[in-house]
Amino acid sequence: MSNLTNLTEVTDLLTAGEPETPQRPKRRSRMVLPKNFGRCALILVPYVWLLVLFLIPFIIVVKISLSDTAIAMPPYTPTFDWAGGWASFKEMVGGWDFENFTWLMEDDLYWKSYLSSLEIAFVSSLLALLIGYPIAYSMARAPAEWRPTLLMLIILPFWTSFLIRVYAWIGILKKEGLLNMLLMHLGIIDDPLTILNTDLAVYIGIVYSYLPFMVLPLYSSLEKMDDSLLEAATDLGCSPFKAFWLITVPLSLPGVIAGCFLVFIPAVGEFVIPDLLGGSNTLMIGKTLWVEFFANRDWPVASAVAVILLILLVVPIVLFQRQQEKQQEKGA
Amino acid sequence: MNGSPNFGSGCSFAPWADPHEKPLIRFDAVTKKFDDFVAIDNLNLKIYEREFFALLGPSGCGKTTLMRMLAGFEQPTTGSIMMNQEHLTDIPPHRRPVNMMFQSYALFPHMTVEQNIAFGLKQERRPKAEIKERVEEMIALVQLQPFAKRKPHQLSGGQRQRVALARSLAKKPRLLLLDEPLGALDRKLREQTQFELMTIQEKLGLTFVIVTHDQEEAMTVASRIALMEQGKVVQVATPREIYETPNCRYVADFLGDVNIVGGHILGPDDKEEDIVQLAWHEDYAPLRVRLPQPVTFPAKGKEMWIAVRPEKVRITKDYPTDTHNILKGKVLDIAYTGNISTYHVRTEDGQIIKSQEANLEHLHRRAITWDDEVYVHWRAGGCVLLER
Repeated sequence: MSNLTNLTEVTDLLTAGEPETPQRPKRRSRMVLPKNFGRCALILVPYVWLLVLFLIPFIIVVKISLSDTAIAMPPYTPTFDWAGGWASFKEMVGGWDFENFTWLMEDDLYWKSYLSSLEIAFVSSLLALLIGYPIAYSMARAPAEWRPTLLMLIILPFWTSFLIRVYAWIGILKKEGLLNMLLMHLGIIDDPLTILNTDLAVYIGIVYSYLPFMVLPLYSSLEKMDDSLLEAATDLGCSPFKAFWLITVPLSLPGVIAGCFLVFIPAVGEFVIPDLLGGSNTLMIGKTLWVEFFANRDWPVASAVAVILLILLVVPIVLFQRQQEKQQEKGA
Repeated sequence: MNGSPNFGSGCSFAPWADPHEKPLIRFDAVTKKFDDFVAIDNLNLKIYEREFFALLGPSGCGKTTLMRMLAGFEQPTTGSIMMNQEHLTDIPPHRRPVNMMFQSYALFPHMTVEQNIAFGLKQERRPKAEIKERVEEMIALVQLQPFAKRKPHQLSGGQRQRVALARSLAKKPRLLLLDEPLGALDRKLREQTQFELMTIQEKLGLTFVIVTHDQEEAMTVASRIALMEQGKVVQVATPREIYETPNCRYVADFLGDVNIVGGHILGPDDKEEDIVQLAWHEDYAPLRVRLPQPVTFPAKGKEMWIAVRPEKVRITKDYPTDTHNILKGKVLDIAYTGNISTYHVRTEDGQIIKSQEANLEHLHRRAITWDDEVYVHWRAGGCVLLER
């Protein structure tokens, strides 16, 4: 579509320019080129970015996932030898197989990790939604002059390193940590609870870390909601509570969906939180991948795990984008 | 109460004139404060059944606050609002037999036209068949049949306005509140919709309260107009009364165009005893005003004002006879607006008097043009005497 308009614009310019400057045809093409060039250059920037920093690395990962592990440097085979040229390339392609992927299917560790990651990410998104919605709602209902400050407070944790914040949770959750001390001091419990190194700690960590990603889209969808809609609903006989369910919730659905995806997608591949807060029983694919890569030095299997993870995540990402597009169409 | 209630005191519908008639809505000494700002100041008002009542005033005069108190979105700081014999202030907004059409229309964007209109009925848990029937009836009333399945963002401004109206009417409220209902429509559509509103109000026999800052709109639709200023009702009267006999300069000036001349009461006219003379300038003859019946004479020497509408001021080149108030002046400006021409005449003492003439024939050459020496004059019965 845009190509088409570009073309017609170009031809328009060409035909328009002709009668006026018949003796200087060179200048004409010069006038056209920079205009298109600028537009292309602008579009090129994100594409080059994606190509260099996403697509090429991903192709390398796919390549490694098709290789076999080897005691070598790098630790897989076959490798591409630049000096060998085309013959070497063919040899490399010939050495590829799907052995690693079959392996992933056979060993139940992997699909259990995937399932458990999806489950943890799903439950965490749900928890983040349950906690984030009231926060976003009260922010959107707060006096207008407070809102920037509240927004600031939501973003504030990002100013500290993510790693340090997760570490801090160890200090809070461990047996002799702050939480247990507080609960024992208050007399609620007699013996310290084991929270650290359990799935519960992973949930706490993920919900805490990704809560801002839930709150921000929710806030933006709740904040732009017209108050008169709620007034209209009460005017038509809706109790305030029912008006919330019939008007506020459906209208904030785009924010809910965006928030859930923004939590779910990174949570599936999360490695740091299960590694630091989770126990040995906590299965998450990010952790499995790390073990494969660094402990077992099995780059091909680790790459295969990463490729499958990406394929699993593409589904929600595509769904998310569809939703965003629909939303934009509606807004326009 | 019969036939068409939309006329002033000239018609038989005038419940406000009957002391035995019970008002539907009564404001008793209502004051509303927002922090230190007094939005409504000790206001008393009665609205009768089947009235089309207009709250008119400049922005910030409190008319919207008044309406929001009727809907229940604001509570009066002091005073009470009664509906029939019930205290309206005790009833939360979702239980009041009052519906409102919002200025922004406030249509639910995630619902179709049908669902929007059915919303209020569903809250009452009426049977499905009844809801369906009523929604169809409402859609037919506002002529939106082809758009029933559309969502608000697929409708034009005029169509949205109709949906909002249908939705607020669906529950047959005792009182319908219209908050600047036609503000977003263009002029042609607005005029047409004004008449439709009146027809619908008559047909359904409901009580409408409309908030507007457009005086023409208020004059067209309303049975009575309450003109507000800074939280107070300045005058409540039929459109005709409020235009012809305003009770102060603010009202005279707010509704339509007016010439105001100040002076002191001189005494009764020597020939006709219901005419009072007003000395306005030491070099000129006093002005004469016919007082309304029953005649009560203002005190001699009191400072008062004469208000006369430009269309009641004649303009001639020759000295007129058979009239009461004659001022000599020079034409300063002529505003030609097609249907009428407005002459701005500077009188000898420096005042500007406006005179309007209907352009009865094609205007080829004006009899009166710029800088002409002219006489502006009006009859004693064409002007009113104002105390403030």
